[in-house]
Amino acid sequence: MNVAARKRSLRYFFAKVVAPLGYKFTPDNDLADYLLEQESHLEEAHGSPFCPCQGLTQNHEDNMKIVCPCIPYHREHFDYMKRCWCGLFVHKDVTDPDSLPQISYEDFRKAKDARGSGEGR
Amino acid sequence: MKKVSMYTLSTCPWCRKTKQYFTDHNIPFQYVDYDLQSVQEQEKIEQEMKKRGGALSFPWVLIGDDLVVGWNPAKYDELLAVSKASAR
Repeated sequence: MNVAARKRSLRYFFAKVVAPLGYKFTPDNDLADYLLEQESHLEEAHGSPFCPCQGLTQNHEDNMKIVCPCIPYHREHFDYMKRCWCGLFVHKDVTDPDSLPQISYEDFRKAKDARGSGEGR
Repeated sequence: MKKVSMYTLSTCPWCRKTKQYFTDHNIPFQYVDYDLQSVQEQEKIEQEMKKRGGALSFPWVLIGDDLVVGWNPAKYDELLAVSKASAR
């Protein structure tokens, strides 16, 4: 596989998918490049461009929820962080991605429960 | 000083930053790259992570008995400050 070409293809395809969801690529180009490279390798090894920061299991259904861009499967959680878990995508209004910490799903759920409702996972 | 251990992924830049954070603070830590383990070992780790709640998201950091999921240096600082204070 030509990793550079695959990264370009993923970038082109992902941009079209995430824009209607209100997301864009992180302005941190080095981070985006690194993550796309890892996804290209994961695709070569496992068949899909899985998130480099979430673990694959023996459960196919669970694994499909972390194929990039995985925003639709974790929408409320990621909207709360204004970024996806690995940080490849951020909300369209974000200019400083370093200011956005990762917030665990548990902490997100607790915050949400405190406000009165929960997200299915 | 509290014991620090973590589960990480070899593909995850935030896991790399987390390891660097503890190295820079001269805090010894142990880590296991989940994706480089056997299927059997991965299943054990998955059970342990899910028992503590949440998804299989990395980095997964234990500082003493406190769990921090994700790259969160402010939280690491907070827990380590407590750790340093209690060691005095």
